[in-house]
Amino acid sequence: MRTTRITEEERAKAFAPTRKPEVTERQQLDVRYHVEDFAVEDRPRRFLEAFAAILRHSNYRFALDHFIRMSAKCSRCSTQCQVYQATGDPEDIPCKRSELLLSVYRRHFTLAGSVRGRILGTGHLTDEKIQEMAESFWNCTACRRCSMECPVGIDHALITHLGRYILSEIGIAPRALVVSTREQLEGKTGNTSAVPVPALVDTLEFLEEDMEEEKHVAIKFPIDKEGAEFVFFPAVSDFLMEAESLMGIAAVFTATGDSWTIGTGYFDGINYGLFYSDRILERVVTKVSDETKRLKGEKVLIGECGHASRSAKYFLPVHCGGKDALPVYNIMEYTYQAWKAGKLKLQPNAIPERVTYHDPCNIARQKWILEQPRELLKAICADYVEMTPNREDNICCGGGGGTVSIDEIRPYRTAVGGKAKADQIRATGAKYIVAPCANCKKQLRELVEDQGIDAEIVGLHDLLYKAIIFPDHMIQPAVPADAEDEDNPAAEPVKPDSAGSADE
Amino acid sequence: MEALLDFAQGPLFRLTFAIMILGLLRILILDIVGMVEAYRKAGDKSIPWGLTISRTLEWLFPVKRILNHRPIYSIISILFHIGLIITPIFLFAHVRLWEQGVGFGWWTLSPQVADTLTITTIVFGLLLFLGRVGVSRARALSRPQDYLWPVLLIIPFISGYLCANMGVSPAVYQASMLVHVLSGELIFVALPFTKIAHCVLMPFSQLVSVLAWKFPARVDEDVATTLDKKGAPV
Ligand code: SF4
Repeated sequence: MRTTRITEEERAKAFAPTRKPEVTERQQLDVRYHVEDFAVEDRPRRFLEAFAAILRHSNYRFALDHFIRMSAKCSRCSTQCQVYQATGDPEDIPCKRSELLLSVYRRHFTLAGSVRGRILGTGHLTDEKIQEMAESFWNCTACRRCSMECPVGIDHALITHLGRYILSEIGIAPRALVVSTREQLEGKTGNTSAVPVPALVDTLEFLEEDMEEEKHVAIKFPIDKEGAEFVFFPAVSDFLMEAESLMGIAAVFTATGDSWTIGTGYFDGINYGLFYSDRILERVVTKVSDETKRLKGEKVLIGECGHASRSAKYFLPVHCGGKDALPVYNIMEYTYQAWKAGKLKLQPNAIPERVTYHDPCNIARQKWILEQPRELLKAICADYVEMTPNREDNICCGGGGGTVSIDEIRPYRTAVGGKAKADQIRATGAKYIVAPCANCKKQLRELVEDQGIDAEIVGLHDLLYKAIIFPDHMIQPAVPADAEDEDNPAAEPVKPDSAGSADE
Repeated sequence: MEALLDFAQGPLFRLTFAIMILGLLRILILDIVGMVEAYRKAGDKSIPWGLTISRTLEWLFPVKRILNHRPIYSIISILFHIGLIITPIFLFAHVRLWEQGVGFGWWTLSPQVADTLTITTIVFGLLLFLGRVGVSRARALSRPQDYLWPVLLIIPFISGYLCANMGVSPAVYQASMLVHVLSGELIFVALPFTKIAHCVLMPFSQLVSVLAWKFPARVDEDVATTLDKKGAPV
């Protein structure tokens, strides 16, 4: 799938400055995302110190050595990058992006490079190069398509990941991510959306009432239930923005009867560490593990969110016990298994409109979850179509790598990062785009709005919610006919028989 | 000229060949040591072997991949690589030299096949060079070595072809043989220190990436301490 270049008009909009000139001046940094003030002097030295510290304690060094020996500069990766295809700017060729950091590594951390650099007096890290990296690494959506298509196997996304990590250690990271993470790790509420526990409980109760009205089934969100099989961590923003996905998930658990819970000690799956700092990644993933253990849960269950799933699935074992770490599941895996096991009944053709599925990069690239959501969708949709390419070759929504949370770069995300995706969506003609990821959902909604596409973005469980067939014994007696005629049937909610036995 | 040729085919050959072998061994060993070390430090030691091996094979034998993107460039590049690897190793004249030198030889290409491969390698090498010069995105990435390699690599093929096929005068024969041998030796020497190192490191690339994402456990404190940031707010 290729996309066309953006027009000059789109370019002007996408790259328009977002920051006040005096801030750019004060921070000596010309980027489009907001950055909290940081020490400006002596940046190259501090960058190199941070780089050295990270190399010393991490596993990056051998990979960088491998990559600098291998890099063939064949330019094949340019066919993969939706950013480069939209801008046509050589600086956006993945290999060129990687070279920014590889050249620093070669010059300052390899013998041959530093000897040559010293003799020629060239190549050392300058403020200008830091500026280039700060810009380039956040133009990338970390989708990892380029890494898949590099003939010599250079993992460009790993290099961008490392570059962002080093930059963050000298204070250069998007403010939106840093502020949320600060609240999550050090704030009163302990989550990125600053949702206090009472508000969470209120929201869930409200949703429970809603569902009872709609489905006449007592669908519950069990809170702080010890010993549940699954402890659930959605992207916390779902509690504010994706009520229907959460309702679908609660409905699935009600139908299957399996035990799950949401912990009030910690209930946020979001892990921005994956996008800008390994240290943050480690601290957040540890909180997930700790809360699951506090509740004596058996398994970590992540909601509809790509990066939250990947960071738990791949990094919880890294930091919380290797093969003894708690097993991590994504909700789609659970729902699929339950359905296959016959614990969940779904109504065929419940969704008559055309539906397509967007693979979140963090779930699909490693071929982790590809078929499960598709099979579920085919079971309930009358008109299911695929986007091309799909599965592990999918195209990023354009808001990956944390960029979706940076509101000030929305014009960039929807004109450049998401351009290829917009073309892809248009080609399907689908009414519903199913995107089982909080980040993809937000980005895709902004994308269809800005690109004028008539499609609705939903989660997988939003649609499943409409199609679940509950066992008869769960359905409460019908409400008297006159009550249903009223404008506001919520005025007389029917209490389920089982309400008394609900978990405390 | 004859003395020079003797020297080039004798001691200089042995020296440059040894440099190549030792140089390649060095980077191979460094690479493997790096991987073992990373695995030892990794907090999570589960490796998705199936996916890693299948992706490795997909790139070592990129039949499945070629048509997806830039098919013409990919086919040219693959055929170039095939000629580049097969011809020198299985050329009758080369194998005979080995037989004389070390006492054993191996299967060889028929002269027609060898000639065809030689020609295709020259043509495709030139095309790759032209692609590099002519395509702006390739130019944007290229370093000097990226332009030099395709040219350097086809010199021994051109000169070798001249020696083998043209009824040239002895003087011309000797001159092109000298070019053939010296350019080959230059390639030997440069190979381990440039991007051509991928000839031995290629099979490990996918594994390297997998291992690189396996971070060591709990290094937040260590990094923070080294950077004097322990306990600092987010
Ligand atoms: S990770 Fe994705 S966005 Fe970033 S350079 Fe690679 S292909 Fe482009």
